[in-house]
Amino acid sequence: MISRVADHCFWFGRYLDRAESTARLLQATRALVFDADIPVTQCWQPLVIVSGELPSFVKRYGMETAGDGEAVQRYMTWELENYVSIHSSVRAARDCARQIRDVISLECWEEINELFLWLELESTKQLYQRNREEFFRHVRRSTQLCLGIVRGTMLHEEPMRFLWLGTMIERVGQTARILDMHHHTMAIEAAHDVVQVAVWLSLLRACSGAEVFMKKNQGRVTAQSVAQFLLFEPAFPRSLRYCLRAARSILSEIWPNTAAPEPVAHPMRSSVVERRSPQRTEELCDWLDERAKTFATVNGIHELLTTVVDETGAICTQISAEVQGPTRTKATSPGQTQSQSQSST
Amino acid sequence: MFTTCFVPHAVHPTPFDDYRPLAGAFDEMVQGNGEPRPHAGRAYSVFAQLTPEELMRCQQLAELSLFNQGVTFSVYSDSRGTEKIFPVCLVPRVIEGAEWNRVERGLMQRIAALNLFLDDIYGPQKILADNAVPADLILGAKTYVPRLRGIKAPGGVRIAIAGIDLIRDNAGTFRVLEDNVRTPSGVSYVLENRRVTKRVLPQAMDQSVRPVEQYPIELAATLRALSPVGPSETRAVLLTPGPFNSAYFEHTFLARHMGIELVEASDLFVEGEKVYVRTTHGPMRVHVIYRRIDDDYLDPSFFRPDSLLGVPDLMEAYAAGNVTLINAPGNGCADDKAVYPFVPDMIQYYLGEEPLLAQVDTYVCARDEDRAYVLEHLGELVVKAVDEAGGYGMLMGPQSTRAQREEFRTRILAEPRKYIAQHRIELSTCPTWDPAKQKLGPRRVDLRPFVLTRPDGSWVLPGGLTRVALVEGSYVVNSSQGGGSKDTWVRRAEPDAPASSKETPE
Repeated sequence: MISRVADHCFWFGRYLDRAESTARLLQATRALVFDADIPVTQCWQPLVIVSGELPSFVKRYGMETAGDGEAVQRYMTWELENYVSIHSSVRAARDCARQIRDVISLECWEEINELFLWLELESTKQLYQRNREEFFRHVRRSTQLCLGIVRGTMLHEEPMRFLWLGTMIERVGQTARILDMHHHTMAIEAAHDVVQVAVWLSLLRACSGAEVFMKKNQGRVTAQSVAQFLLFEPAFPRSLRYCLRAARSILSEIWPNTAAPEPVAHPMRSSVVERRSPQRTEELCDWLDERAKTFATVNGIHELLTTVVDETGAICTQISAEVQGPTRTKATSPGQTQSQSQSST
Repeated sequence: MFTTCFVPHAVHPTPFDDYRPLAGAFDEMVQGNGEPRPHAGRAYSVFAQLTPEELMRCQQLAELSLFNQGVTFSVYSDSRGTEKIFPVCLVPRVIEGAEWNRVERGLMQRIAALNLFLDDIYGPQKILADNAVPADLILGAKTYVPRLRGIKAPGGVRIAIAGIDLIRDNAGTFRVLEDNVRTPSGVSYVLENRRVTKRVLPQAMDQSVRPVEQYPIELAATLRALSPVGPSETRAVLLTPGPFNSAYFEHTFLARHMGIELVEASDLFVEGEKVYVRTTHGPMRVHVIYRRIDDDYLDPSFFRPDSLLGVPDLMEAYAAGNVTLINAPGNGCADDKAVYPFVPDMIQYYLGEEPLLAQVDTYVCARDEDRAYVLEHLGELVVKAVDEAGGYGMLMGPQSTRAQREEFRTRILAEPRKYIAQHRIELSTCPTWDPAKQKLGPRRVDLRPFVLTRPDGSWVLPGGLTRVALVEGSYVVNSSQGGGSKDTWVRRAEPDAPASSKETPE
């Protein structure tokens, strides 16, 4: 398929999942404020930290505002200068979709276009004020529906593979961030066991994982078991392991036998990596499998997550270069697609 | 047979209450006495059975459907990249079957002559040698590209896709107003309007209306038929300037419905006089490019060295016969407004036939005699700049101010080659929903039929795009200036209807 189109498919999948994930994270944090007996500030500030937005947030609103639930929700929902806000993500997803209108199905386009138009309505702003839960539910349902429509109506060929690859790669980052929130929440002050449980449950909800976690663990909520579940559960579609394995298998379908084409020497990116993205993903999966065998305590989880997030980011950059395909002439303009597809990492 | 459907005095208010055709204009649906024209009787009765409120609701549903599906055009003047829908009025424009058959034959004849003209003008230039048309006018046109002379068009057809703008005068006669043989747009609205009509007013359609949905299939077949390689090995692509182009929706629409790839210039490159597209599995050959970008932005190394847009060396591949460009570059000199007055002469010259379609009498300001007449009658004429489109650069004489007329006098004297003039034609009208008045009023319409041409002949989409000037009293139907559109229904001709069953003009 056309390289530019592959890139847009990839980012369409990423933005869709990002919008859903942000909505879910905000919703779960709202619940946490009621359930856990910890200062409100301690609930909201970690959310800004893990989204990678703390520096720009503080610059605009000041450090003390980072604990203000309303301000954080507004920033993470509506702020267009925040690349990871719901509004930005939906708009970016819709822009991508518009550029691959000939590749995605009509139903899929209608869904994302209607979500975009809905966000721009005055009545939606009122709904946000009046019934916040319903607002987030609408965003979640609409993005989930869109991803479902993708699988239900598009040819299961390369465009869908790139789209789903983007979704999986995004999810690795999102789940890792959500897990990392625990690290930041608890870093502020050592907490009581009951609080711990509330925080862990909240994280599971933020990943749509509370019910399925219970199925696997029969109600035993410990730091160890929750972390294990979100990191390694091979059957949970939002665990790091599941998402990375899925990414690996999609990449091997796109470029069988890791025969990804030579990355184009890109003037904007100095390091040309020798290993191909399927190989690199394979290695990351293996590394994670090793960690699963020896995983005993949540101490050190922050370092593990950092490694996964950094390496996934590098793989993502690599995919972008490989998508351009081998080129036999001088003329390329990949810089253009880069600006449209902004990474949050 | 249709008068039985017609309810002369409905019991409730109808959108047609007080409807009267404009004096001096031909109304497509309603006769002078307020009764529907026989061929439009069915459509009339469907709408006469609605209350104004019901029609308004249908209109809103139609617009919502277009908006949600992103059937929009981008507004250039708006820096935020705003998208608007092309407003649609659900009351269709209905064309009688036998009348359409005559129009269709006229269109095919016209395209045949224009294709021969382009081959000639970029080849032996016999028509100029024989003085059948003035050489200085043709060769002096900005739209004529001398460097293309001697290059044969791969595929053999220069105008594969044409959109010919027709208007209907006060006698109901179709006349050609303008030819569009470069990159005519609007066909997606024809298909979308039909889809919306079927969705919102399913009871309005029946089998007597000829379908339009086969257009993308015909177009794909046309692209393949013009390929330099066999149809089954052909890779055809649609080349778009990108999402910010006002017609981007149409580009995606056509690519999707033909199942071909939509590409931007940066996706293509030329090596060894062959065109390739960059894919995730390396470069692939491209044989046919349906390009929706202007000549100027096709190939910077050929047309505009200052431009960064386009595909470098594309014209080398074209000249080598390795890629077909649709439509061919250089076609602009066939739809130049200053060349238009000579199309009937071309039909005579190349085909030895009388033109089947009338056109609008035109004064060419480059001619002394014509110019003198135009300058004396500026208040009665419509003056057009030959290289402007979209309703810009025009003087509407009867509605103009003295200052405007003086300005055009100066301009014409400075550059006579740049201007033509025509008497204003009373465009035909069609009942059109007026949301402010909550009823139907007569609004002026034109018609852009689409003609596809392969080496073995032409195919005409039944009907085409009816554009309507939504503003009361306006003659300007362009989407950029307050125009809307209508579904166009061509009725199936009765098999044994006499070809001369033309309606009595009023």
